[in-house]
Amino acid sequence: MSLKPADPGFFVGYFKKVPPAVRTFSLALAAALVAALGGAALALAVSPEHPGSGAYVNDLGDGSLTGILETSPYPLLRVPAADGRPARAVMLAGPSKIGVGQAAAGLDGATVDAGGVFVRRGDLDMLLVGGPVGLRASTAGMSLPAPAGPEPLGRWRITGEICDGKCAAGAMKPGTGLAHKACANLCITGGVPPVFVTTAPVEGAGFLLLADADGGPLPARHLHRTGERIAVEGVVERRDDLLILKVEVVLP
Amino acid sequence: MSVALKPVGWNRNKLVYDAVLIIGAAVYILAFLNLAPMLSEGAAKVDAPIQRMRAFGSLAFLMLTLVLAIGPLARLDTRFLPLLYNRRHFGVITALVATTHAVAVLDWYYAFSPTPQLLALFTANTSFDRIAGFPFEILGVAALLVLAVLAATSHDFWLSFLTPPVWKALHMSVYGAYGAVVLHVALGPMAGGRDPVLSALVAASVATLATLHLVTGRRERAADAAASPPAAEDGWIDVGDVSEIAEARAIVGAAPGGERIAVFRTKDRLVAISNVCSHQNGPIGEGKVVRGFITCPWHGYQYRPEDGCSPPPFRERIHRYPLRLNGSRVEVATTPVPLGTRLESFRIPGATAPASPVPRTDPPGPRAAAPGPADDKVAS
Ligand code: HEM
Ligand code: FES
Repeated sequence: MSLKPADPGFFVGYFKKVPPAVRTFSLALAAALVAALGGAALALAVSPEHPGSGAYVNDLGDGSLTGILETSPYPLLRVPAADGRPARAVMLAGPSKIGVGQAAAGLDGATVDAGGVFVRRGDLDMLLVGGPVGLRASTAGMSLPAPAGPEPLGRWRITGEICDGKCAAGAMKPGTGLAHKACANLCITGGVPPVFVTTAPVEGAGFLLLADADGGPLPARHLHRTGERIAVEGVVERRDDLLILKVEVVLP
Repeated sequence: MSVALKPVGWNRNKLVYDAVLIIGAAVYILAFLNLAPMLSEGAAKVDAPIQRMRAFGSLAFLMLTLVLAIGPLARLDTRFLPLLYNRRHFGVITALVATTHAVAVLDWYYAFSPTPQLLALFTANTSFDRIAGFPFEILGVAALLVLAVLAATSHDFWLSFLTPPVWKALHMSVYGAYGAVVLHVALGPMAGGRDPVLSALVAASVATLATLHLVTGRRERAADAAASPPAAEDGWIDVGDVSEIAEARAIVGAAPGGERIAVFRTKDRLVAISNVCSHQNGPIGEGKVVRGFITCPWHGYQYRPEDGCSPPPFRERIHRYPLRLNGSRVEVATTPVPLGTRLESFRIPGATAPASPVPRTDPPGPRAAAPGPADDKVAS
């Protein structure tokens, strides 16, 4: 047996002179490498799914919305119908990965003013409480009509993904999927309202706010199923324009 | 020249090598972050930090693939050897790119939370018993730790401090890191099929590396298996015909145990020496006699023909074997002489010209110091 070396010019990196054959080959290789890297970068950068249109929207400016606060399953502001706009239930969260549970404690059922910016994608939006007003017992002295009671919509089995409502609405783009799972878990653990983004509309909505079967916040065990496409079963109710899914079973 | 005091030996070739790498990385990042958003509305809409994670993560993965391809490529085609010489710089730059990726992730997905970033990294997702939803970031952490340790120990100081076998074993863990990165990507960003190019890239990387390693592995095993025929006398093997050996080059034989032995011809003399470089097991027999020293093709470690020792100040030693001619057949004893023993090289009786003319290749040119591999030995 003999393994004979090819001899395109023996060269070791510390030699001062580079044989022409080695030089030509190396330069061609370098050019190919740089070109291939540039091409790969472009192909990869444009490949992922479009992250959607979610964005921050400063509807309120420095002003605020007044409504009745509900704290279950997550802080919601029930804003009565006004100026031809029907009543709505606005999900509330903090400016970072926290909810507004602390600020809302003690205000359940009270009339409150809430300021901040919206993050919105399609019909999914959330008020990120902040600005000069924040969340406080209303100073306007208005007396608001009591919000309508929840309208039961029956038991459903729905396919979709458990997301934190804030990132799904566009606070992060993309803000869904398994790559984003840990981030979503941090938000939900921090009290940001979780939503179920459905693969097909349910009663006209593309998402539902998630709650435990008893109407409380989503239990931590469901964090094991965030970010992936799953099917869940539970009772759906409507509060104003917001659907709420009380999760009974997450299908395996 | 002081070897000990010079921490890193640079030379023009290394600078060019590093420059090409850095330019390649810069082109990649600029194309990803600046050019792509002009071409694609989707890319423009992605959060800048997420785009940054993707750019640096995918670049680190590509670079890791290339680093792992260099070894087998150089075995298959010696023209890739210049890539091997400075491979550790490639590795170090890869580790830096991967770190940038990890920092971008921590500063976005794990930021803005009351939980500190590093704690959140390990506690936000605990679905260890699931495949869909597995905390794939942990695999990235493991890979990054390995890359960091390898980068930190890439200098030859660590090679001699840890001894070559330990160092080599440690650096084999780069394959573990690669595997962890593949899973890292497969279980996270690739899941759900939302990124077809990423999936294709990972599949191509795995397929290429597997093929390259299988092909080279098969060649090496075939070479190991093809032991040289035994000579008439026990304990000797017939390595080949003296006319096969080109001047300053070697042919390689294999003892029955698989130990490979290179027989170099230099002027009218023959030398049988271990084929395994004491630096990183490079194939010495594919090297050349340069200015009287047997020179390994991988990083240029040099050995004296007469005793297998590196010239001072270096202390590497490799085995030499007794050699004789039986007619024109070269026979080598399969038991080496003790390390460092002087053994006169074998004079070819009546030899004149080299066996076959060899194109004059690079003389390393005048060198300031000892002709040993001084520049390289102190290099990182
Ligand atoms: C502390 C260590 C690491 C962490 C926390 C981490 C985390 C992440 C996260 C969260 C993503 C998803 C990004 C997205 O939304 O698309 C990701 C993607 C990725 N990571 Fe890592 N990673 C780490 C280390 C590494 C290392 C060492 C490599 C490679 C050498 C790597 C290669 C990749 C690749 C190729 C992607 C896919 C990029 C794309 O979507 O195009 N990661 N990593
Ligand atoms: S293996 Fe590095 S010089 Fe021989």
